[in-house]
Amino acid sequence: MSRKKFSEWKSLIVWAVVLAAIPASSSAQTRTKDTEWPSYAADLAGTRYRPLDQINASNFNDLEIAWRIKTDNFGDRPEYKLEGTPLMVNGVLYATAGSRRAVIALDPATGELLWIHGEHEGKRGGSAPRQLSGRGLAYWSDGKEERILYITPGYRLICLNAKNGIRVPTFGDKGEVDLKLNDDQEILPDLTTGEIGIQSAPVVAKDTVIIGAAFREGMTPRSMRNNKGYVRGFDVRTGKRLWIFHTIPKKGELGYDTWEKGSAEYTGNTGVWTQITVDEQLGLVYLPVETPTSDFYGGHRPGNNLFGETLVCVDLKTGERKWHFQLVHHPLWDMDISSAPILADITVEGKPVKAVAQPTKQGFLYVFDRATGKPVWPMPEKPVEVGNVPGETYSPTQPIPSKPLAYSRNGTSIDDLIDFTPALRERAKEIVSRYHLGPVYTPPVVSKVEGPLGTLTLGTASGGTNWPGGSYDPETHMVYVYACNSCMEPIGLVPAPKEISDIKYIAGTAGQEVEILKGPGENAGADSPKPAKKKAGAGYVPMNIDGLPLVKPPYGTISAINLDKGEISWQIAHGETDDVVRNSPALKGMSIPRTGQETYNVGTLVTKTLVIAGEGHVTTTADHPRGAMLRAYDKATGKEVGAVFMPAPQTGSPMTYMVNGKQYIVVAVSGGPYSGEYIAYTLPSNEE
Amino acid sequence: MAIAGLGVIGAFFGMLRAQEAPSSERSVWDGVYTEEQAKRGEALYEKQCSACHGDKLAGRESAPPLTGGAFLSNWNGLTLGDLFERIRRTMPQTSPGKLTRQQNADILAYVLSFNKFPAGKTELYRQAEMLKEIHFVSEKPAAKK
Repeated sequence: MSRKKFSEWKSLIVWAVVLAAIPASSSAQTRTKDTEWPSYAADLAGTRYRPLDQINASNFNDLEIAWRIKTDNFGDRPEYKLEGTPLMVNGVLYATAGSRRAVIALDPATGELLWIHGEHEGKRGGSAPRQLSGRGLAYWSDGKEERILYITPGYRLICLNAKNGIRVPTFGDKGEVDLKLNDDQEILPDLTTGEIGIQSAPVVAKDTVIIGAAFREGMTPRSMRNNKGYVRGFDVRTGKRLWIFHTIPKKGELGYDTWEKGSAEYTGNTGVWTQITVDEQLGLVYLPVETPTSDFYGGHRPGNNLFGETLVCVDLKTGERKWHFQLVHHPLWDMDISSAPILADITVEGKPVKAVAQPTKQGFLYVFDRATGKPVWPMPEKPVEVGNVPGETYSPTQPIPSKPLAYSRNGTSIDDLIDFTPALRERAKEIVSRYHLGPVYTPPVVSKVEGPLGTLTLGTASGGTNWPGGSYDPETHMVYVYACNSCMEPIGLVPAPKEISDIKYIAGTAGQEVEILKGPGENAGADSPKPAKKKAGAGYVPMNIDGLPLVKPPYGTISAINLDKGEISWQIAHGETDDVVRNSPALKGMSIPRTGQETYNVGTLVTKTLVIAGEGHVTTTADHPRGAMLRAYDKATGKEVGAVFMPAPQTGSPMTYMVNGKQYIVVAVSGGPYSGEYIAYTLPSNEE
Repeated sequence: MAIAGLGVIGAFFGMLRAQEAPSSERSVWDGVYTEEQAKRGEALYEKQCSACHGDKLAGRESAPPLTGGAFLSNWNGLTLGDLFERIRRTMPQTSPGKLTRQQNADILAYVLSFNKFPAGKTELYRQAEMLKEIHFVSEKPAAKK
């Protein structure tokens, strides 16, 4: 073997180790009683719902740890951002884990490791835009064979035998499909470093594996040109590509003319990086599409930019577009559609509606008839502010759902500012006086030292609901959804020096150095562009006052939304009041209700009676040592009925299952100094 | 819309934080880095960290924030040694461990500076063992206002 070949071989080492026989016999005996969680969001409808009630309001506080597994050794270094939700199907729990994005199979009752599979991708994995363990994997069976499908950081679809973790040799090329190939585009600059990947879990519906694409963050891209994020369907048996949907239309396809001046040819991104939802009965797939290249400046892509920030419905068998609805025309706020569309069979004014409900960063829950794409409640186009950034084009209107009303803040005003004391309100007013404020869809501005430094936004890049999405109870027709109500994003634009980017404006603040948000080591050598000197009095203004958020509570919420009525039934602050708020000298002596937390990655689980979600921040209180709580709420009222301690924040959405007559809740925790860990909770044996 | 579950937590006020450092212990409020060091750290941050954590340290879908509630909460009660080791061992994500102790200390100084912890006259230590003596306390002590 030549040195080069050896090196190539070495960079793609594959390993699978079987450690214990899968307890098929024991699971077979109890399978009828087991309740599974067979896909990322419990089902293809994106509900995150299981009708279990062994764990309920009367005993939630009694939960104890059944088993736990650290993910440190499933990669060459620990990861601190474990975002996975496992599957439990046919008596085995499967998950992605660790910085290698290994796949592990566990005994769901004991946590015993049954097998592990890993792929060493070398530079291809190391230069991937979306690294670490990702959100999860997919399971498929025809009743005889069982397969696990997942996507490596280096964007390869891997098909494993679910019984032993070994690649299925008849699938694709010895068990893999290189997703950088056969994509109706050449992934540039090369297969190793070409920017495209994904962190979400693949979806399998009726023998078709559906896969989207993700890229690097897009605040300050190097170029208006990038690879495009098409969506493809593959045959789960063979790995053969069945269809592709061009999220940026090719010439002659519908929507091409919404990219003026030929910008469809070079604009990239516009992928589906979050979870995809499928209605197998209708044979329809729901694609939540992200922002096109350059999050905050669209001057190089004039027009409405279909299918950017559009909910697209395609045929499961062909990928052919059935309907679409663009939530945001000519996107300028990074309002990627960031979570799974939720399928809901509801009753509106006495009539049954097969609906799809889409939570968003902007805090609107968009509800459509999922067969036709027609809004269930009107979404009239309403005038929005038109900005004046040179070269930019604006949509003069945006669709605004009339029902339900926004479930989280999506604009900024003085009324939103911190008001614990008049002095704090004054300090907040002073800070925001340097920014442009306004309601949802107030456009970005060119940043000026004398002000405005930017447009101050809520409900944009990190606001509202992000990738964890919502939950849905098919019995009561309620959506439960977490939202960040305080994740503030100042959006200022600065001219990009030509040596940094070919885009006219990138995100930045006047008076600060113009910088590209770049990868390690770039522009670090001799002759790199010298940044401009800072001007006095300019630059970053903290979006908090001595750690207190600039806006008033609640900082993070869970909302229950009645989909039959299109109304918010209840809304609670989710998350203990942060230490920095609770212990603030400025608030000494004041009695402040629980504020919730300023975080955007909290996922919910709904059971027969409970809504369950962990906290995204660590706190230390009289009730518990340094840690975070997994909380349970009465789903009918939002009243908290129990809480159990976690050593670190919830970073992956919780799931539940019943095996051998016991209900378990599994949640991924990590963050700060705590490396990734899956923890399974169950009731003490004597309370079964 | 009914607002439910906003439980009163006023009872927590006035309680001593379990992790509050005695006055003899040093914290991030005691001027534990220099402005010059933070400037060096800023340049390093831009090259090594900002692609994922953002120019305003606000984080994104791919990386957590290094400022604001989530950051302050997740490190409150720990030490700068913990934070330094987390950076040194795992960052930058594409090549963990490639930065020197000095570079990591400089970046940490910039993160402290960005979060408005005060600068002082001496640079941040480069040894985690020594940094463990400096407590990360998210809220400004009343006496140091």
